[in-house]
Amino acid sequence: MTSIESDTEVAARLEFEETQRSEGWRLLRAALRLQRRNLLLGALVGILWASFKVAVPQMTKYAINDGIEKNGPLLRWALIIGGLGVLTGVLSGMRRYIAFRESRWAETLFRERLFSHVLNLHVGYHDKAQTGQLMSRASSDLMQIQGFIVMIPITLSNVIQIFAVTAILFLTDPILAIVALIPLPFVNLSARRFSHRIHPASIAVQAEQAQLANVVEESISGVRVVKGFGAEQVQFEKLEKEADDILRESMKAARIRSSFMPAIDVLPALGLVAVLGVGGHRVLNGDLTIGDLVAFNVYLTLLIWPLRNIGMIVALGQRAAAALVRINEVMSTESEITDPAQPKTLPLQTTEPVGAVKFDKVLFGYNPEFPVLRNFSMEIRGGESIAIVGATGSGKSTVTRLLLRFYDTQSGHVFLDGIDVRKLKLSDLRKHIGVVFEDTVLFNDSVRNNIAFAKPDAGVEEIERAAKLSGAHDFVLQLPNGYETVIGERGFSLSGGQRQRIAIARAIVANPRVLVLDDATSAVDPSKEGEIRDAMKTVMSGRTTIVIAHRPGTIALADRVILLDEGKVAAIGTHDELVGSNARYREVLASMSTPEEEKVN
Amino acid sequence: MWSQGGVTDEDRLSRAQARTVIGRVFKMAAPFRKTMYVAFACVCATTLCALAGPLLVRRGIDLGIRGNDPASLNVSVGVYLLVALIAYVFGRAQFLYLNRTGESFLRVLRLAVFRQMQRQSMAFYDRNKAGVLVARMTADIESMAELVQWGLLQFLAAGMLIVFALVLLATLSWQLTIVALLVMPILIAASVKFQRDSNKAYLTVRDRVGANLSALQEGITTVRVIQAYAQEEETIRKFTKSNRELFKSHEHSVRVSTWYFALIEFGGVFASALIIGIGGWLVHRGDVTLGTVVAFTLLLSSLFDPVQQLSQLYNTVQSAGAALNKLFQILDAKPEVDEHPGAVALPLSGELVVNGIDFTYSGAENRALQSVSISVGVGEKLALVGPTGAGKSTLAKLMARLYDPQVGSVSYGGIDLKMATMSSLRERIVVVPQEGFLFNGTIRDNLRIARSTANDEEIDAAIAAIGATEHFATLPDGLDTEVRERGSRLSAGERQLVALARAALVDPAVLVLDEATSNLDPGTEAEVEHALERLMAGRTVIVVAHRLSTVQRADHIAVIADAQVAEYGTHAELIAKGGRYSALAAAWQKSQVSR
Ligand SMILES: Nc1ncnc2c1ncn2[C@@H]1O[C@H](COP(=O)(O)OP(=O)(O)OP(=O)(O)O)[C@@H](O)[C@H]1O
Ligand SMILES: Nc1ncnc2c1ncn2[C@@H]1O[C@H](COP(=O)(O)OP(=O)(O)OP(=O)(O)O)[C@@H](O)[C@H]1O
Ligand SMILES: [Mg+2]
Ligand SMILES: [Mg+2]
Repeated sequence: MTSIESDTEVAARLEFEETQRSEGWRLLRAALRLQRRNLLLGALVGILWASFKVAVPQMTKYAINDGIEKNGPLLRWALIIGGLGVLTGVLSGMRRYIAFRESRWAETLFRERLFSHVLNLHVGYHDKAQTGQLMSRASSDLMQIQGFIVMIPITLSNVIQIFAVTAILFLTDPILAIVALIPLPFVNLSARRFSHRIHPASIAVQAEQAQLANVVEESISGVRVVKGFGAEQVQFEKLEKEADDILRESMKAARIRSSFMPAIDVLPALGLVAVLGVGGHRVLNGDLTIGDLVAFNVYLTLLIWPLRNIGMIVALGQRAAAALVRINEVMSTESEITDPAQPKTLPLQTTEPVGAVKFDKVLFGYNPEFPVLRNFSMEIRGGESIAIVGATGSGKSTVTRLLLRFYDTQSGHVFLDGIDVRKLKLSDLRKHIGVVFEDTVLFNDSVRNNIAFAKPDAGVEEIERAAKLSGAHDFVLQLPNGYETVIGERGFSLSGGQRQRIAIARAIVANPRVLVLDDATSAVDPSKEGEIRDAMKTVMSGRTTIVIAHRPGTIALADRVILLDEGKVAAIGTHDELVGSNARYREVLASMSTPEEEKVN
Repeated sequence: MWSQGGVTDEDRLSRAQARTVIGRVFKMAAPFRKTMYVAFACVCATTLCALAGPLLVRRGIDLGIRGNDPASLNVSVGVYLLVALIAYVFGRAQFLYLNRTGESFLRVLRLAVFRQMQRQSMAFYDRNKAGVLVARMTADIESMAELVQWGLLQFLAAGMLIVFALVLLATLSWQLTIVALLVMPILIAASVKFQRDSNKAYLTVRDRVGANLSALQEGITTVRVIQAYAQEEETIRKFTKSNRELFKSHEHSVRVSTWYFALIEFGGVFASALIIGIGGWLVHRGDVTLGTVVAFTLLLSSLFDPVQQLSQLYNTVQSAGAALNKLFQILDAKPEVDEHPGAVALPLSGELVVNGIDFTYSGAENRALQSVSISVGVGEKLALVGPTGAGKSTLAKLMARLYDPQVGSVSYGGIDLKMATMSSLRERIVVVPQEGFLFNGTIRDNLRIARSTANDEEIDAAIAAIGATEHFATLPDGLDTEVRERGSRLSAGERQLVALARAALVDPAVLVLDEATSNLDPGTEAEVEHALERLMAGRTVIVVAHRLSTVQRADHIAVIADAQVAEYGTHAELIAKGGRYSALAAAWQKSQVSR
């Protein structure tokens, strides 16, 4: 740390961390309140179990003193111990079952809440969030919490057990009790310190493992680039570094383990030695019976696990608290893009065509200091088709994202059918806008479900019609299982052009008021593109369409063309008009720049 | 508390396989064999110490207390204390040595498997899904880490403890040993059944956890599409379903283990009841001493605990064996495209000659290329055109020896690529693939994939060479912009610019561009091409392209159709010929013209 905090800053930070923690615990308490009944039952069972468990050595003592030494009714004692065995067995089973079931249930509900929260968070959040981070919130952090909840009933019975055993030891022989108990608090202390220190170490190991996984994942997914440039050695060196890091961190963890685990194992033995030494002499002096001595030994072993466990649960609790803080961080992030309090409804389709889009003096930048769109205004009539043309990085895709209200403008407004998109329910708005994104995202699902994504109950005919229009039908029929073929990352691999056609079909099924095609045919070869273009005319007729494209043939599909340059609409007109009048337009399309093409014109 | 391993029936190793796996592990572990032996000796020592405790208690009770001999009691106590100290020392040592052996082994394994994966040719990556390969390098090896950190130690110790404890009990009292052994078969039978059931339950849990995580990941990575189509509710509904199924499988697996742990708890108490009852009777008869009975009750757990542990570890060990087996399969896979012994470096420049090659992708029915011959002279620019799936990309890949042809050869400067060293080959001939993959990191980091030693000036120069300096300068962080996962921070065209700039950094003799500019606006594309032309002056360039403007600037054009070279010549020649190319050119020109 290089920066020095002032006292007030420190105080503020501590207070902030404190509120974070208490908010985290509040989250957990609220969740557990729902399962109050079963958790109480678990606690009850745990208490009963502990009492019976403690009774066993007591009976053993009687058996030895009364049954063996004094020749008493041995069988009766043996039967009683056996009976206690049945009880402890049944109760321990119940306790285990309840503890695990309830903790898993809590985890399950937490995960669902987290998932639905994340899914509804605004796109700007997802731009910055890392998939891996969010994944670990919903997996390993929840596991920490589950691990903590599961320990609650066990801890209760452990506490009971410790109190009962200590009481019995003192009642039997206070002096011996003190001698025997001396090493045991150290077991607890070591267990606590151990959990405390091993946790960051294992986190470090996990972090290194995640880094290695990253190198591996990228080397394999990007193998074409790696091989194309012969970068195998570069990647290998990265991996070697990560492997070395793992080894180093693992050995750190091993060293921590080696300095605590044997001690935790050996300390109780010291108690046993003390009992044998001091207790043996007390028996010799006639202050204690042999049965008591044996019972003492057994009781001491009964204390070892509970003490260790309690040491661990303290650390587990701290870990769970940290996990809760991280989860709370996500859960308390409010979506910046939300439904308005009093949403308006879109006008119904009448004789007038719907789907009018208007951008009014829009100012927007992903980073407010670097605007991408400045004073951007355009108006598209319902049913009109328009092409947006602009250089790489000029903000064409950004226009699409604003129309979907993935982001809100910094100033200016976006309207759909005359209503500010901020005044509409998000689902209402987005249902009426169908976008084919430039990076085709398909789901790990059948072709059918991918096409019917926006309308899960779409019929076969509807799906096939969309596939035919997008030029996907023919190749889909050639796939191993036709429309039922599973595609996506873990399914059948399609070529880039094929993927784009599925995505177009998906947008057609959605039957939106506004259809947006963002460079949707870049991977389709020109002859095929021509076919798709013809089919698209059917889809586009009477529907507002925004086409972002680089090929003049595709651009020509549109009634009007908008040239986007320096964040503004630089020119509007038909393709021919712009070619004739606008130098920048010609530059962007590299149109007429070669003599051959000029000849054709 | 480690996660338990699991193994499917088909992955379970046969005895012979298990033997080879163990043999190979030992061979790979040869460099640290000494540490391994030390570790093993430490495990033996601590186990013996653990058993000595109850024995000393017995001696103290029988000789010291009952024999009324305080001195003897003191000896027992003293020795016990000493044993505890020895146990501590060896306990520490066993952790360190065992972990060092295990972790060093895993490191060697990681490096070996990754190196082997990298040596594999593209065909290997066609056959194996990326997800599976990543799992081999991560989950499979990490599952062994648990074994290394805890499992192996416990496995060894538990096995030894059972053997030693049995020997010890038998020497103390054969009668009571028989009593203890009466309970053992029940315990073992229960453990075996539990092991089987829990393995099955665990496999279901594992599958569902996997499905749940994939659903989670898919939801997060596709969130934009989900929101765009307002399908949040539906996606959440599907996720909830998978999540509830996961819960059910967790519940089932707890239920499977519940009766077992109840039985174990009962068994322990029941066995001491038996020992007390029968032992007491034997004491009355004078067959055994009270000290022996006490020692027995204490030692019982030394017998029962390890049986329990072994049954739980059994799955972990088995799944580690299965994982190792799969890793060894990767290590054994011979790369199809590999450096020959006696390979020579390629000359600095030369003619690239494709000589009558046939090529079929493994597993494919049809030839992707059939008797293709073509030559590209030094400094020549060749364009490959043709319909989708004709084999353009395939030819490009063969020219850089990402695959070897089944018939015919590709040579550079008169040397067959098969006889060239891999390093000189990758230096001379560079391919910019159809999908320019961006790695997590800055734009500079992404260029350094092409040449890791490049300094900042060289990177600036590469960006300048493709004429993109101005463009990236407008980004807030310039070339230090973090491109985020898969380059999602950049626009589609910007991603292609980065992929292209890599080629400018390496300065190869032959550059193969496979539709490397499809997402660029034509203006930028033309700029990039002019820049590259300057850069590649005097060098050989092969482009696969869909745009007429790019193609007609080439010295020669090859039309690839149906896996063959259908036409070859200059733009003017081919137009004059009036064949496929002139038809293609006409289609292009039609698309250039507005309605
Ligand atoms: N999520 C984001 N966060 C920050 N900046 C971004 C983000 N997405 C895009 N940008 C930047 O905003 C600018 C406009 O990007 P946009 O994707 O709208 O370009 P485009 O016109 O669609 O370009 P292309 O033709 O290459 O797809 C670019 O400079 C890009 O780097
Ligand atoms: N890795 C692969 N395994 C099996 N078959 C493949 C593989 N890659 C390509 N193919 C097949 O080989 C043929 C030629 O493919 P190639 O990628 O060379 O076509 P292309 O001419 O580059 O097409 P495009 O213009 O779409 O890129 C196609 O039928 C394709 O399906
Ligand atoms: Mg874009
Ligand atoms: Mg191709």
